[in-house]
Order: sequence, then structure tokens, then C-alpha cells
Amino acid sequence: MKVAMTDAAPPVAAAFGPPSVHPKRGTDGEAIRIRDFNLWYGKAQALYDVNFTIERGLVTALIGPSGCGKSTLLRCFNRMNDLIDNLRIEGRIEFEGGDIYASTVDTIALRKQMGMVFQKPNPFPMSVFENVVYPLRIDGIRDRKVLDETCYKALQGAALWNEVKDRLHASALGLSGGQQQRLCIARAIAGDPEVLLMDEPCSALDPIATAKIEELIDELRERYTVVIVTHNMQQAARVSDNTAFMYLGRLIEYGETETIFNNPLNVRTQDYVTGRFG
Amino acid sequence: MTTITADDVQQADRDSSQAVTRRNITIPLKARGEPALWALGGALSVGIVMIFGFLLLVFYNGFTTFIAKPVAVVTLKSGELVAGEPTRSELYKLAPDAVKALAPTDAAKIEARGGYEQRTLYRTGNYDLSGYDFKWVDDRNVARAEFPSDVLFVERLEWGAFVGRIKAAAIDGKTVSTPTAKDPALVQAHEAALQRLQAIRNIERNLIGRVNYDLERLRLKVRRAELNYGPTSPEAAAARANEVEASGPLRAQYELLAAEAQRIRQIDQKNTVTLADIAGKEKTLPLSGLVRFYAANDLTLADKIGIYLSRWWEFLSSDPREANTEGGVLPAIFGTVAMTLLMVLMVAPVGVITALYLREYAQQGRLVSVVRISVNNLAGVPSIVYGVFGLGFFAYGLGSSIDEVFFLERLPNPTYGTGGLIWAALTLALLTVPVVIVATEEALSAVPRSMREGSLACGASKWQTIRNIVLPRAMPGIMTGIILAMARGAGEVAPLMLVGVVKLAPTLPIDAYFPYIHLERSFMHLGFHIYDVGFQSRNSEAGKPMVFVTTCLLIGIITVLNLAAIIIRSRLKRRFAGSQF
Repeated sequence: MKVAMTDAAPPVAAAFGPPSVHPKRGTDGEAIRIRDFNLWYGKAQALYDVNFTIERGLVTALIGPSGCGKSTLLRCFNRMNDLIDNLRIEGRIEFEGGDIYASTVDTIALRKQMGMVFQKPNPFPMSVFENVVYPLRIDGIRDRKVLDETCYKALQGAALWNEVKDRLHASALGLSGGQQQRLCIARAIAGDPEVLLMDEPCSALDPIATAKIEELIDELRERYTVVIVTHNMQQAARVSDNTAFMYLGRLIEYGETETIFNNPLNVRTQDYVTGRFG
Repeated sequence: MTTITADDVQQADRDSSQAVTRRNITIPLKARGEPALWALGGALSVGIVMIFGFLLLVFYNGFTTFIAKPVAVVTLKSGELVAGEPTRSELYKLAPDAVKALAPTDAAKIEARGGYEQRTLYRTGNYDLSGYDFKWVDDRNVARAEFPSDVLFVERLEWGAFVGRIKAAAIDGKTVSTPTAKDPALVQAHEAALQRLQAIRNIERNLIGRVNYDLERLRLKVRRAELNYGPTSPEAAAARANEVEASGPLRAQYELLAAEAQRIRQIDQKNTVTLADIAGKEKTLPLSGLVRFYAANDLTLADKIGIYLSRWWEFLSSDPREANTEGGVLPAIFGTVAMTLLMVLMVAPVGVITALYLREYAQQGRLVSVVRISVNNLAGVPSIVYGVFGLGFFAYGLGSSIDEVFFLERLPNPTYGTGGLIWAALTLALLTVPVVIVATEEALSAVPRSMREGSLACGASKWQTIRNIVLPRAMPGIMTGIILAMARGAGEVAPLMLVGVVKLAPTLPIDAYFPYIHLERSFMHLGFHIYDVGFQSRNSEAGKPMVFVTTCLLIGIITVLNLAAIIIRSRLKRRFAGSQF
């Protein structure tokens, strides 16, 4: 374990020590491997030496107090952070064996493999149907049969089909907040990605809609690797297999959700999951 | 930790009940913001009063101009007769010396009014007989004023209005003496005369125009061959031979048409009307020289409505006459609309593409800031400067180069190398492009980041995101910019005077001759028409009503253009209804 003890690192770095990474649980492989990952917004460092591996086919939750870098990290996975000026990174994030920050990587192709769901539902001002098939449209697919089938499968997959099947060609903006968020999930899975990145997908939703999304995440785990950022510890406990706890840009503890919540190794993790801070 | 006693609780209760029951809470007026509200409301009312006052003035004057007015016959104390439409009355101050020189009774009356005298302006017409169109009559000089039912108001093709009576008419050579205005024979003969006039115009303008156009083309072919191959080359000789061969039949056709026009003219000569002014001075003119005549004091409501509508129709559908103070404004309407639409076609893509690059692609830095500030400052450059630039760069620079390459045979007559519709539209596009750029940039930056991210996260490229998500979403804002640009462009006059608008251009930029749309032609414009009629005509008094009518029309046209754009925008907006972002 290499810990960067540069001048730039604040003194608190020493207090954390190396992250507590629990032994790996038996699955069918690695999806995303993060190696010595550092990130700066201008001069401010946001991520410090993050190292862990997200396993294929599981739901991994990133938890931590506000500003701990969990969203930043998530947005590095599909390089959405490229849109930000003055961003600098060091280290590697490997996806399917290759570094996603390698100069040869096509971000467009990368994003097609990583569906993303945002904090606030962001359906496009188009019909429900057009929203779902948007990833196909941009690939230039026009075959009506393919589009119809994808739309049906994606909406079924997002548990939305029964609610919108009669209004596929009405504006997506007329749906409720929870429906809109599931529509965004449908849109994300319509492109047939490997990984689903969810950035606090329930923070703008009411409890009933939240329950529906959580149920959906539970169903999605079999087909996709899901990485979910959440503020809500109960949610992380309910939906995730693995949990990574981050604090001040560092990974503090990573392991099976049950262990993180019941027997954390790190005292900060314990304080956070028991609600003593954060 | 202190313990809370029963006393503390009671005290707290007393405090809170006092707070609740306290009366006479005075919040200062300033804190409530009432004065600010009055100021805001006041500012709004002042704005509304100014705008509506202006519109009311324009529309009142514009819509009353074409109403048929009665004609007064005033007998002055000197015995002189003045006949005309009373236009307006006013008080004016007489010079004290002039008052002293008057008869004592008149002078006393004027002194009683503080030296002011009432006078009335009569539209007398008969410019060809009297040398004036309008005449002021002082009240003290009036012996009596009457509204006789047999006085006619006659609109003529030349020399303006005529007020008087019809002395005699010759219909197909047969003389009819003192017919009334509603004499069916006279009315019928007048209609026939107007039709003959149309026929002559058709022959001269369209048919002979066609022949002349063909002859000119033959001449240009010869000239082109001479320029391309040299004057002694076989090609030039062949072209000359072709000209000689083909121009023969054309000239024969020309003779035929001219003869036909002459024949109709001769019939026209036999249909004349002799008008006499109120004093009996006579004038004979062909019946086709009358546009319209009516007994001004003997009109039913239906007659008045008919005259009103027919005057509007004439205004909207015919060419101007008499230095633009009479007749219609069809070429100006056409020119205004064509130029504005052409301008929008040019400014919209350029402005939107520029703004897209500036906002979406350009590295936001000092250079982009400088460009942006420059663009904003361009909106503050006086429009006449754009006119000078348009003339120098577009017409004389670009246009002359086009002429040298494509229209060499027509030189030294410029084709594109002088003011024209396309140069005017380009100049105005340049003038209004900052508006579109600024509005588009605002609209683009108002597209929520979440939408772009949603699209990018689906694996869309930047261009696909702009094309599919950002542009449709920004379209209503872009349309607003285009509407503003259109309104600004349609109302602009100063630069147009330099780059293609002329006082009179009866040939429209669209006609039956190849290539059908002639963007190089100079054209008429309502804005310039207003200036011309109001300030450049022989008689500003006669032009004044036309100024208001034309202003009405220009406002109406701009409103229609804007409404069309607003309807398109609201259609676009409806697609985003229910958007919660």
C-alpha cells in the first residue's frame, strides 16, 4: 500500500492510516479496479490514493458525509468529470483490464458501457418512448422493431412498463418524479451497459418512490454491476452487497455491507454508520 | 445545568402571552416596501401611457385618413370663393401691426381674444389651376360657408385632387352636359376608361417589356461573345447574325403592340370630361385620368364605406403616384417583407452558429471574452455606419467583383455592384446579428446541465447532445432573439438608404423574367417611404396623412411578422411544458 505523503497532503492524512479493506468475497470477477487514484479540482485535492475493486454483478454502495468525494469518484468511472475545467488526475481506473484514462480510450464508447442515473431525474423533453430509445437513436438505429423491443425490455427492466404503456408517446415531463427516475434508469439500461452508475438516485424522491427504486436495484443486480452513491445509510444497508466508506477524499473502509455496518474495523466507519457524525 | 422551577415556567408563559397580545405593532412604511411598489406601478403606467398614446395617435390618424370628408364652399367677404375639405382649425397670433390695419370691428374681436385669430385649413386641390393644394382662411374674412350637394371631390392620376363640378363629359364622342356624379352612363364610361388604362399599362409594361427584355438579351449575347472571343471572332459574328435574324420578328412584334396601344389611346381621347372649379375655371382631361369622383356632401353611409374601402384597397394594391404622396404602396410592402425575411434567413443561421461555437466549443478565456464584448458593442454602432459599410464592402466590393465575373457584358451598368435587396438584407443581418448571438448564448446557457449530462452519459457525442438535446431546448430562446432581430431590422431605415432602398421602384424583385427572383434590384421600403412622403415631397401637408397611414401599415406588418414568429415559439415551448427544471 502506497500512501502519498507529499507536501500537499494535509496533516490529517497521517491520522487515517491505510484503508481497511476486507477480504474479497467470492464472485465471478472484477468490474472496476481503482488504483492509487488521486484527483484535483484546480489546486484542491478531492481524492487521495483511492484503491479498491468493484466486483462484477454486485451492488456496491459508496457512502460518506457530504464532500467526501464519493460522487467525484463515481463520475470518474464514465469520465463525466472530463467536462470540468482544471481537473487533474493521477493513478488508474481499470475497466475490463484497460485504463479508462488511457489516451486511446474513446469516452463515447466507454459511456455506452456505463449507464448513469443522476441525482435529479433528468428526462429529455421528448416522449417517453424517445427518451428510452435515445441511446439507440444516437447510434443511428432506425429499425422500428428493434426500437420497440428495446423500449419494452428497458421499461420492463425499470419496472415502469405497466405504468406508461398507454402513454409511450406522451411527454416524459408529465410523469411523476419517481416515474421519471425509473425512466432514466430505463434509458440507462436501454443502451445495454455493463455497469450502472447511480449518483444518489433517490435523494429527490419521496419514500414510496424510493422503495420502488430500491426494489428495482435489487432486481438489476443479477444483470448489471451497480455502483450507487448514497447519503442514506439505511439505503446502502438495504440494497448493497459491498460498501465503501469514504471520508475527506479517502477510502476509509471497504467490504461486505453486513460487515461494514455491524463489525467495522475502523472507528470512523463505526462512528459514521452509527450516526455519530456525518 | 440549571433546574427549571415553576416560577420560570410562569414567567415564560407571561412573556409569550405578552408577545402575542401586544397591540399597535407599527411597521415602517419603508419596510413594507409600499413606496417602492408605487414607484414600480407608476413607472409601468408612464410606459403604458406613452406606448398606447403613440399607438392611438398613429392609428387614429391612419384610419381616419381615407374617410370621405365633406367639401365646404366658403364665400369670402371679398367675394372670392374657396372650396375644399376643411382639414383643421387653429388659433394663431396676428402681428399687432396687422391687427391695427384691420377694420375696427374685426380688430376689436381679435383684441378680445388676446390678439389671436381663428383660421381653417381647406384642402382645395386644383393645384394645376391655382398653384396650391391647401389654403388657410381666416374666420374674419368668411362671409358664409355652405356644403352644396353638387360639389364633387375628384381624385386624378395627375395633379392631385380636384374640387368642383363636372361641366360636361364626352362619352365615345357624344357630349353629355352637366352630368351628376352618379350618372350611370358616366360611371360606366369611367369604368371602361379605367379598364382601357389597365390594358395600355399591360401592353406597355408587360408585353413591350418582354420584347425589350428579349432584345436586350440578344444585345448582351453579342457583347458577351465580343468580350469572350474578341470583336472580330467568328463567334461574335455569329452572335451578331443571330441578333439581326432574331430581332426582326421582335421589332415587328413591338410595332404591333405599340399600334395596339395607340389604338386604345385614341379611343381614350374620345372619352373626356370637362371639370370646372368653383369659380368656373374649366379643365378638360381624359376620363381615364380620374381615379375616383364623388359628390362629397351627398354621400350615404354605404357610399362612404365603399369609398373608404376602395381607398384602402388602392393603397395596398397599387403603385405610388405623384411623388409617392398618392396611390398605393404595394412595392414598399413587398420590399419590406422580402427584405425582412431575407434578413432573417441570413441572420438566423449565422447568429446561432456563432453563439453555438462561442458557448459550447470555444475555450472560455480572454479571447472569447473579447469577442463577446465586441459582439455586444456592435449592437451600439450607429446604424448608418452599417449602411456605409454595406455600400462599400457588399455593394461596391463584393457586388462589383460579382459583376466583373458574371455580368461583364452589362458593364458599365452595374448589376450587383450597386445597392440592392440582397445587400440591404446582408447589411441588416450584420446589424442584427449581435441580438441573435446574445439571445442564443443566453438560451444555450439556460439549458440545464443535467440534460447535457444525461445525454452524454448515454454515450452521445458532444455534437449529438447539442443537436438532439441542447438546440431543441434552447429553440424558444433563440426564436426570441430572432423576433427581436426581425423587429429591429424591419424598422431600420438609415442604412437602407445607402444600400438599395430607393424612392420609387415599381418593378418588384420577383417577376416573370429569368431568374425570377432578382435580389440585385433596388426596392422600396415602408420606413423610407414614410421619410420620403413626410419630408421630401412637394407638399408636406398632403403627405402628412400618408405618413400616418404608412406608419400604421408598417406597424401592422411588423406585428404580423412577429406574431408568426411568436406562434412558432409558443409551439416549441409547449413541447417543454411541465418541465420542472
